Amino acid sequence: MWKEYSSDYRKNNPSSSLSVRISALISALLLSLLCCLFYNLWKYEVERIELEEGGWQSRLTGEMSPEALDNVRDFATVEDAVVNEKKSRDGETVTDLYFYHYRDVLQDTPRIAELAGIPAEKITYHHQLLALFFVRDPQDTAPRLLFPLFLLITAMASFSLVVIIHNSFAVSMNARIHQFGIFSSIGATPKQIRACLLQEAASLCALPVLMGNLLGIGGGMGLMLLTNVLLGSDIPGRHEVNPGYHPLVLAVTLLVTMATVWVSAWLPARKLSRLTPLEAIRNTGELQLKRRKNSRLLALLFGVEGELAGNALKAQRKALRTASLSLLFSFMAFTMMQCFFTLSEISTRETYFERYQSVWDIYVTVKDASVENFPETEALQELAGAESAIVYQKAVAKRLITEAELSEEMKSFGAFSQAPGHYVAQVEGGWLVNAPLVILDDDSFLAYCEQIGAAPRLDGAVVINRIRDVTNPDFRHPVFYPYLKKDSVGEAPVSVLRQSGSEDVAAQVPILAYTTQVPALREEYATLDYYELIHFLPASLWRELRGQIGGAEENVQICVLGKEGVTLEELNDLEAAIAALIGQSRAVESENRIREYDTNDTQLQGMMAFFGGFCVLLAVIGLGNVFSNTLGFVRQRRREFARYLSVGLTPASLRKMFCIEALVIAGRPILITLPLAALAVGTMLKMSYVAPGEFLAEAPLLPIALFLLAIVACVALSYSLAWWNVRKISLAEVLRDDTMM
Amino acid sequence: MEILKCQGLRKVYGTGDNQVVALDGIDLSVDKGEFVAIVGSSGSGKSTLLHILGTVDKPTEGTVTIDGTDLSKLNPTQAAIFRRRKVGLVYQFYNLIPTLTVRKNILMPLALDKKKPNQEYFQKIVDTLGIADRLDALPSQLSGGQQQRVAIARSLIYRPALLLADEPTGNLDQKNSREIMDMLKLSNRSLEQTILLITHDEKVALEAERIITIQDGHILSDDRREVNSLSM
Repeated sequence: MWKEYSSDYRKNNPSSSLSVRISALISALLLSLLCCLFYNLWKYEVERIELEEGGWQSRLTGEMSPEALDNVRDFATVEDAVVNEKKSRDGETVTDLYFYHYRDVLQDTPRIAELAGIPAEKITYHHQLLALFFVRDPQDTAPRLLFPLFLLITAMASFSLVVIIHNSFAVSMNARIHQFGIFSSIGATPKQIRACLLQEAASLCALPVLMGNLLGIGGGMGLMLLTNVLLGSDIPGRHEVNPGYHPLVLAVTLLVTMATVWVSAWLPARKLSRLTPLEAIRNTGELQLKRRKNSRLLALLFGVEGELAGNALKAQRKALRTASLSLLFSFMAFTMMQCFFTLSEISTRETYFERYQSVWDIYVTVKDASVENFPETEALQELAGAESAIVYQKAVAKRLITEAELSEEMKSFGAFSQAPGHYVAQVEGGWLVNAPLVILDDDSFLAYCEQIGAAPRLDGAVVINRIRDVTNPDFRHPVFYPYLKKDSVGEAPVSVLRQSGSEDVAAQVPILAYTTQVPALREEYATLDYYELIHFLPASLWRELRGQIGGAEENVQICVLGKEGVTLEELNDLEAAIAALIGQSRAVESENRIREYDTNDTQLQGMMAFFGGFCVLLAVIGLGNVFSNTLGFVRQRRREFARYLSVGLTPASLRKMFCIEALVIAGRPILITLPLAALAVGTMLKMSYVAPGEFLAEAPLLPIALFLLAIVACVALSYSLAWWNVRKISLAEVLRDDTMM
Repeated sequence: MEILKCQGLRKVYGTGDNQVVALDGIDLSVDKGEFVAIVGSSGSGKSTLLHILGTVDKPTEGTVTIDGTDLSKLNPTQAAIFRRRKVGLVYQFYNLIPTLTVRKNILMPLALDKKKPNQEYFQKIVDTLGIADRLDALPSQLSGGQQQRVAIARSLIYRPALLLADEPTGNLDQKNSREIMDMLKLSNRSLEQTILLITHDEKVALEAERIITIQDGHILSDDRREVNSLSM
């Protein structure tokens, strides 16, 4: 009988059933997508570990005879035992063990070690890999967060979906409160009513859950392939994803989906079954306001229809809460994200790529090297395809500055009065400031001297005589003043450089020139410590000073500029040539400007696609809620509209009411977001010192407008469909409805 | 044999200034096979009394015993089962399930208990109520009088100890009202069915053998009288 009752209801109320089915489909799709993505993430992680560290599960270090190795290989649970030649050293063989089942690793490795005569402390477990197969060694205290994170995200997703889709069930169930009141009045127990509703939910959702799961799997695979297309394997440390799926994942997904749908149906079913027969039988399913509300603005704008629409929206507030919040947050997040990324792109382009466009194309860091002892310099500078190559190294030192040396401009903004103590120390006779040393290879130093108009010599330093106006925080458009007085500059041929930390140790360096121009290096100066006095030195001079004041960094940098209009392929060739020249005997890290730009671009697009997808998902949830509500409320709205018609409202007025409701639902996120977005963008512009005109020229108006239009169109569609169902009102029939008591 | 007993029945709705006393110290006893009409003006408390007797509402104070069962001790599930088996409810607006056929509507209380109907008794009821030829129709395909007959048939299908009828003729024309009242009297006489009828229509009340008048939540009068035979 329940079955017949439910199937009759479904037949007679297809829109209400449809909203439940759509909700179930969306839930299944999202959860399936989540599980599929997680599985592939897990698979990727396993592959990554196997690629980087090998797929061994445990490792024995110690002498192992061929017989012992054979014995290990013959161990029942061991699939293979391989001697790791790379890790093995004199007298100590490293044997990697591979087991048939991960569960045997912790239990059997000590026994195998004993068999091979290797002490237990020489066992190493591949904890990172084992943890991915739920094998945790008590000794492994490192947090392995992949599974807890998945559980947390899945729980949150399920909870969010329950919050969202239970409303669809509630709308469908609440439309029949009166009927269940009748059932109750003739003796149906709360349990029977609950069971009926849950059986109905199960039969409604079975197919959508299955379809949603399949779509989710397809979507997950598609996303994985898209990731490969977007990111490829160009990013260091990343390999291509091999999308896959496992039947167990399907089982888990189905279980999670069914649990989510069941809880979503159970919540309103429980609420409904708990109503007393009297409460249920008196329920007419109409929208009710708990207390008097005013919709002044809507009444002012649209008259009585506006007020009625406003009241209807207030009465539906609870049912529409998810929709309102989802649409608001999705639009807000999308707008903010677009603005943020646009601004970030402008900023990165200006401060990094454009700024260094004519400075470097390939930037190489050579570990544990020194510029004064770098024989490859000349060969580097003669490389075909290289316009210039500057080899340099940085060092730290201190310098004393007396009051007499300070420029008038510097004094005008308070000299060192605002300088933090950890950068500038007031000492007897003046101030001790940081004097960073940039040591250039001799040829580059000579070229630099020529560039600034100084006599090209290798027996002195060039000092950057400028200081930023510390009172102006605009880092994008800094104003510089002379640091030292021109008179003193002319009269001070030497700079006394002191060892950082032991300032008594000092060395005199002749000053070849004071300038405000810096050589073309990928370096930023005085970004944190505005008061540092930068010295450029030739490598040959540093060879003499190094022993006196020291302080050089461990790495040497090479800044290579390609020919004008160089392409990525040419840079790749140049990079390979540099690696061949210096990478054989030294540890080298290399960056390629065009590739970095492309990678940055791809990453930015990837992030935008990811966050954009998240925003779209949020919007879909909100729109799903709008659809489920509008398709589900047909019955109650018919009764409400019948009452309006009975007091003289025209069908056109009712349509106007619907339009106003749709306008409010779609318009609210816009009205709230736009001023907030303007405020946020204003703040971001202020903080990043990007000119408003510059931002406006590239403002992401089109994607925001498209996102907005999509929301408006979907809300309009849902209300049009609802209107299509509601509009055919037979006044007499509705007012004579069986729910009247 | 006493089938219904109310003692000190009191029902208060709302709190503070909004408090409404619907029933105030009702004492009532009904014997098996009695046909009792409860009359009173709108707001007198008669529907509240019926709801309490039908276990769809609970009293604020006092006890109600039907067929030996103290209603105050029933939890919601027990109350539902009690309603299903011991009480038949007939409403003014029929309260039939619109998506189920007449047959299914009538058999619903038995179906809830997963019981098969006694075909002979079922046929007797539908024949007596004149709806045997409409068993496969939907409620919306019936007239108001026919719908009310279905509601009565449904209330009688479990042979309840007490049939509670709340303005059963309130939505019907004179002819149909007459017929429904005859049906109720017939079930009272032939099936020894105890009936408690709530009405504000004096003519309808006069069909009962006992008339209890309620006003402002109190019993104003309780008259027993001789009634005419069926006019069928």
